[in-house]
Amino acid sequence: MNWFWRLFSRKRMDIELDKELRFHIEAQVADKIRSGVPENEARRLARLEFGGIDQIKEGCRHSRGTVWLESLLQDVGYGLRQLRKSPGFTLTAVLTLAMGIGANAAIFTLVNAVLLRDLPVVDPKSLVRLGNWADCCQNSGPKQDGNYSMFSTETYEQLKRNTPEFEELAAMQAGFENRPVVVRRDGGQEAAMPRMGEFVSGNYFGMFGLQPAKGRLISASDDLASAPLVAVMSYPTWKNVYGGDDSVVGSTFWMNTKPATIVGVAPEGFYGDRMSNTPPDFYLPIATVPNEMGGKGFRDSSQNWLDIIGRVKPGVAPLPLQEKLSAELKRIYAKDSHFSAADIAKAHVVLAAGGAGTQSMQDSYASNLKLLMWIATLVLMIACANITNLLMVRGMQRKTEMSVRTALGAMRTRIVRQLLTESLLLAAIGGVTALAASYGGARMLLMLTFPGDQHLPISARPSFEVLGFAICVAITTGVTFGVAPALIAAKASPAEALRSGTRTTVGGASLVQRGLVVFQAALSVVLLVGAGLFSQSLSKLQHTDMKLESQNRYIVHINAQAAGYKDDQVDALYRTLEERFHAIPGVVNVGVSTFTPMEGNDDGFGVHLIGQPDIHIEATNIIVNPEYFDSVGTSVLMGRGITSHDTATSPHVAVVNQDFVHALFKPGENPISRSFVAGGDSPKPYAIVGVVAGTSYTNVRRNGKRPMYFGPLTQPSEVGYAGAIVVQTSHPMGDMEEITRRTLMGINSNLAIQKFETFEAQIAGRFTHERMLSTLMLLFGGLALLLATLGLYGVTAYSVVRRTSEIGIRMALGANRNFVVAMILRSAILQTLSGLAIGVPVAFYGATLVRSQLYGLTSVSGSALWAAVGMLLAAACVAGAIPALRAASVDPVRALRIE
Amino acid sequence: MKEDDKFDLPQGTLDLLIMRVVSLGPIHGYAIAQRIQQMSREALQVQQGSLYPALHRLEYKKLLIAKWQATETGREAKFYELTARGRAFLKDETEKWKRLTDVVGLILKGTLEGVS
Repeated sequence: MNWFWRLFSRKRMDIELDKELRFHIEAQVADKIRSGVPENEARRLARLEFGGIDQIKEGCRHSRGTVWLESLLQDVGYGLRQLRKSPGFTLTAVLTLAMGIGANAAIFTLVNAVLLRDLPVVDPKSLVRLGNWADCCQNSGPKQDGNYSMFSTETYEQLKRNTPEFEELAAMQAGFENRPVVVRRDGGQEAAMPRMGEFVSGNYFGMFGLQPAKGRLISASDDLASAPLVAVMSYPTWKNVYGGDDSVVGSTFWMNTKPATIVGVAPEGFYGDRMSNTPPDFYLPIATVPNEMGGKGFRDSSQNWLDIIGRVKPGVAPLPLQEKLSAELKRIYAKDSHFSAADIAKAHVVLAAGGAGTQSMQDSYASNLKLLMWIATLVLMIACANITNLLMVRGMQRKTEMSVRTALGAMRTRIVRQLLTESLLLAAIGGVTALAASYGGARMLLMLTFPGDQHLPISARPSFEVLGFAICVAITTGVTFGVAPALIAAKASPAEALRSGTRTTVGGASLVQRGLVVFQAALSVVLLVGAGLFSQSLSKLQHTDMKLESQNRYIVHINAQAAGYKDDQVDALYRTLEERFHAIPGVVNVGVSTFTPMEGNDDGFGVHLIGQPDIHIEATNIIVNPEYFDSVGTSVLMGRGITSHDTATSPHVAVVNQDFVHALFKPGENPISRSFVAGGDSPKPYAIVGVVAGTSYTNVRRNGKRPMYFGPLTQPSEVGYAGAIVVQTSHPMGDMEEITRRTLMGINSNLAIQKFETFEAQIAGRFTHERMLSTLMLLFGGLALLLATLGLYGVTAYSVVRRTSEIGIRMALGANRNFVVAMILRSAILQTLSGLAIGVPVAFYGATLVRSQLYGLTSVSGSALWAAVGMLLAAACVAGAIPALRAASVDPVRALRIE
Repeated sequence: MKEDDKFDLPQGTLDLLIMRVVSLGPIHGYAIAQRIQQMSREALQVQQGSLYPALHRLEYKKLLIAKWQATETGREAKFYELTARGRAFLKDETEKWKRLTDVVGLILKGTLEGVS
């Protein structure tokens, strides 16, 4: 019979014990009577000889070994009853804990998934990445600061050959979010679909130490120009798109019209070499990239497009390796005519930990997530302050109860244990609620951070770390803030406690309690100011003059290469696109270009004026058709735009933007008719024919700092095929996407829409980050305000209860209601003002810390400050007014009779 | 026998006495108390009730096993019996006890001789 079973047969065992003892006594009485003792005397003697029955029963129960559990159950039962008896207190405490811990656990789930998690590969700690920053966009030519993070195919191969320090050095297509290939399964009925493809070196999977889920992975022999085109499918794609069909392996898929054999499926859980919301569906070897997928550019020895990650051999020191790689890089760039001696001297590479992959997402979210973690910590501190206050108030309220129990002989340890059980119970309920809150919170954060995203390899499910974290916080809070009042209560001498009663004029709430409220007010004003700053920053960003027109414009992305178009066919395609879209009723302008304003990517090239080879700048090149500038609303400031007279046979011209003029010309100098050359193997000089306004591309933070030049679609350029169509209509057209699909199908059935968005949606998409930050800040600011208000309310209400008899006396002596309201309200406002006095300077200091994340703000703005102060004061008035009015409605006669 | 000649039991010996009595065959609590008194020729002062916590503890340790049976007078009583484990334990402890008393006796005897 184990203790557990005994516990549940307690009742039966008690009955048996009773029966057993009764039998003993009866037998003894019978013996005594038999030997001649009268019955009454026999009974008395028997009981005397037997000893105290209840003590013996207790002794027997102890022998069973279940007493500790029984008294624990008693404590828990009693604790639950106590919590149920004061639902207001319980609800406030549980909600406070849930919000404080939940917010923290949610943020931590995200931080854990995005910043701390290593790739699911063999020994991620020994992986090293060449380069420590996320370079955007394929580029060529020297970098201003000489810190290289992205490399050309040729550079990669030379580095690989000359670094025996690496067990394997693998390369992968660098961090563009959108790397579509158009895929159609051979013989299938399905239409061609845009999917994510990533080009990787032959040793990519080997370097990560991965095993295939099906078939085989890409090997070095696939990564040869002469090898047949093969691809590895990602596990989620295999499962979700192809239903885990085994026959996928070995079958042919048409990728951008080229047949590729699927040789295998990547392991489950592998989401590529970086955390991304567009994880690759297919992995393809670098050497066999067909021209239809951009292979021409990738084989250009100056085109940087690869990230490099390697697994170092054990015992290789990182610093000498970094030196060696930098020297190697200098040697490679020395052969490149685009690099000046100064460029070569500056060239270096910084090694970074590669265990988490290429980390472009980590880079872009790290500062935001760290900020959010700080904020969540502040919220947790406010929550803990609230809990402390609540438990202290409760401890004091129960001082009398504890005194009575001590006076009745309860052991001090038992009382403390009882109170401890109660606070742990509270913490446990709070912790469980917090877990639910953290799951919901993490889901919400994921939705806010990565809107509309199903592909992100992050789950909102709290990890073990998060679970442990939440439980630790809950228990620490419970124990720390539950035991202190318990000890105070238990220490009180019963007689004194019983005597002192409730009639007192001093104190009300203790200094510690008031201090906590002041602290809460200070923290929440900091968070509110922060929230104000971030929403102001967002609004400034969104209302920046982007020098474009977005109304009634639709942006369509296609991939001519993927549809099988060759160099000599695209000009005809561009013309057909213009004609067919113009034929749609309501269409005003049709722009065709490589990229459009406020898009995530562009192509940059090194540029210098002819005759001034020393002044290098990096400029973005976009090729456009004649209607493009009108279609996006970029105005021509000088000279002319691109026209239909710019053809393959006419002079090579470019239109440049204002930033370009500022960067390369002295003020007042006329740029028209000047010539410049841009990167590429055989540069052909451009003659500048016009200047356009500096429309925002990729990021409004780069306004005024982004030189650009626009060439005609029809003339040779550094960039590939145009993939963007801007359709401007005279009125909003809801069915534009369907019309576009039909129009494209009418031109070529292989022309799929890669992406369709209104211009407004595309612009809004560039602010997702900032919007997320601002929403979260508002959320946390609101949470902090709510908690602080609750705290202030709690303390004020408590002091009103404590001072009921004092207020009664004051009123009996002639104080009127207004006086009482003012008296109570004054102390609430005073605490809030003290909080402001601390919080406002802290907010100013905090603003300097987040300055880099704000746009157009260098310090706390007046409006954000006043809004925060106003909100806090309003909340304080509400929190103070309710107890104050209750105090004013005290009936003096009843108040005095209370004792 | 005078009250002064009665002993209080040394710590831990009650268990041994109970088990010795129980080793003679299934027996209920009251009879155990009677037997201890008789066997010690009334020299031991055992508060009758204090048997029961000891009995329950021994049962919990699985040295004894109990079942409800009718007595010769037809009433239901809880009868205790040694388990195999209890038997081994009793044998062990009895030997230990004997060795202890021998050694203590030896020493005390020597001391007394030295004193006298």
